[in-house]
Amino acid sequence: MYRDFGTILVAAILGIIMVAVPLFLQSLVAPSKKTKEKLETYECGEVSEGSAWLQFNIRFYVIALIFLIFDVEVVFLFPWAVVFKDLGLLAMVEMSIFLVILIIGLAYVWIKSDLDWVKRKVKYAAGRYERIQIKENT
Amino acid sequence: MTNLQSLSFYYPELILTVVILAAIIYDLTLDKSQSGKVGWLLVVGLIGVALAIVFQENKVTTLFSDAIVLDPFASFFKLIVILATIFVSIVSLQSGELKAYRKGEYFTLLGIITFGLFLMVSTVDLILVYLSIEIVSIMSFVLAGYLKQNTRSNEAGLKYVVYGAFSSGIMLFGLSYIYGLTGSTNYFEIQHALAGLDSEANTAIVMAMILMIAGFGYKISAVPFHFWTPDVYEGAPTTITAYLSVAPKAGAFALMIRFFNQVLADGGGMGGLDSSSIATLPWPEIFSLLAIITMTLGNLVAIQQNSIKRMLAYSSVAHAGYMLLAMPVMSGDSMYAIMMYLVMYLFMNLGAFFVVITVQNKTGGETFDDYKGLGWEMPMIGIVMTIFMVSLTGLPPTAGFIGKFYIFASLIKGGNEFYWLVMIGGINSVISLFYYLRVVKVMYFEGESHEKIVQPPTVMAALLLATAIPTVLLGVYWTPIADWVQRSLVFFIQTL
Repeated sequence: MYRDFGTILVAAILGIIMVAVPLFLQSLVAPSKKTKEKLETYECGEVSEGSAWLQFNIRFYVIALIFLIFDVEVVFLFPWAVVFKDLGLLAMVEMSIFLVILIIGLAYVWIKSDLDWVKRKVKYAAGRYERIQIKENT
Repeated sequence: MTNLQSLSFYYPELILTVVILAAIIYDLTLDKSQSGKVGWLLVVGLIGVALAIVFQENKVTTLFSDAIVLDPFASFFKLIVILATIFVSIVSLQSGELKAYRKGEYFTLLGIITFGLFLMVSTVDLILVYLSIEIVSIMSFVLAGYLKQNTRSNEAGLKYVVYGAFSSGIMLFGLSYIYGLTGSTNYFEIQHALAGLDSEANTAIVMAMILMIAGFGYKISAVPFHFWTPDVYEGAPTTITAYLSVAPKAGAFALMIRFFNQVLADGGGMGGLDSSSIATLPWPEIFSLLAIITMTLGNLVAIQQNSIKRMLAYSSVAHAGYMLLAMPVMSGDSMYAIMMYLVMYLFMNLGAFFVVITVQNKTGGETFDDYKGLGWEMPMIGIVMTIFMVSLTGLPPTAGFIGKFYIFASLIKGGNEFYWLVMIGGINSVISLFYYLRVVKVMYFEGESHEKIVQPPTVMAALLLATAIPTVLLGVYWTPIADWVQRSLVFFIQTL
């Protein structure tokens, strides 16, 4: 069984070769004319400005996390929808339980005001968020 | 058993899931000052789960297509975890540290850790081993950093994340080796496949198992993987420190016993490693070494600590070492000893941390200086702390002595080659006497005496008694626990 790792080794070596050889070939063949514009950092074709080392708003991460959860939910829903006819009621019940758990999560982030970009002053959350100061022009 | 049939045997976990979801919803309806009520919801729910587990205690079967098993061994550890969670939930409501914070999420996370530990103690599949360790770890990271305004707590959370991610990565690498060697993630099939391998594969097996021990060792804070322990234990809320030192440790020991017993030894017969088909590998040596360095380093470093919380952190490292002592024998006796030890350890260690919480609520400090003269000022604290310290040292007539007695007895029964482990264990107990009794000395013989006597609040006093009485009682009369452990020493096994 453990000899099967040989296959993985061969695949790994092949992978390295297949990346290295084209890179090497193009460095031999391709003309190299460096201009100022070519050496600039690529930023979607725009002229780049400012440093990339700046602080992001922490709320980006919260939004990303919430997005991830509901993204995964959809990923689970597609295969379920495909085989739904064969499985019938049982699949319906199972998926309902899954969705109920996620909906509780949605209710949680909603009530905690994580769906809004500017945090609401929530009644019960006063102590927790009282230190947050919303700056102008951000 | 198929998935649908399994559900009818899985109701303790289903009840727990409903309790967790109910806790989330209940918290949303509460004011911040009222959020402690979620803790009572969790306590009531956990009592329900415990009853459900007791009800199905004697069933032995495998669930969800051989992913997890239901056997008395798992039920035993589930009840230990529930007991620890209930204790910690009640004490969390009294803790001064948590007063300024909303506690709904705290109790929800405690519930989820309990669920993860349930998986951990009953799994027989490598995927679920990893998954359950991650469930427990990730919730612990958040709880360790729960005191958001406290930088020490933030530090604890971050350090825990870094160490946790690293060691679970190492463990995952070991798991992939085992899968590569055997082509299966199921314990029974792995055992079967390993028995069929020739000695050529020995190096790979040893390598894989050492990588896995890194993961397990991180959860029980065995020595080369213990570096997170003092900082996390010191920074985390004391209630969580108490919890981390007991419940995940019990879960990880259950996981370790089940894994090594099932995969490397014979599973159910528990005849020790000799009956294993790969007995030529150096298991006893690896575990002996791990146990010795764990308890020696834990005890030696604990001597130098100034903070009681940090001292107890190193003491919990040392206790992991004592329990690991029984692992090299891998016989029925040694598993029995580890389970006995865990019950005793639960009461004495939680009790010691409850004393720390009580003192912290009163003075806000946790160093030896804060304990000066405490024995005269708070007589009850002085007496119960003395009991816990004596018990942690392992002196009769306390629970700690009985725990250690069973560990050493299992080693002596194991044969001549384990006698030296008993010697080193004994020497370590003597070393630990120094720093445990230093607490007693500071409490009674240092600082000025007080005329005014302070009583701890009623609930704290009740909790201290609830841990101190078993600590003494189990040192004198431990037959019920011994019977319970004996009954619980039944594993589900499947021969291929």
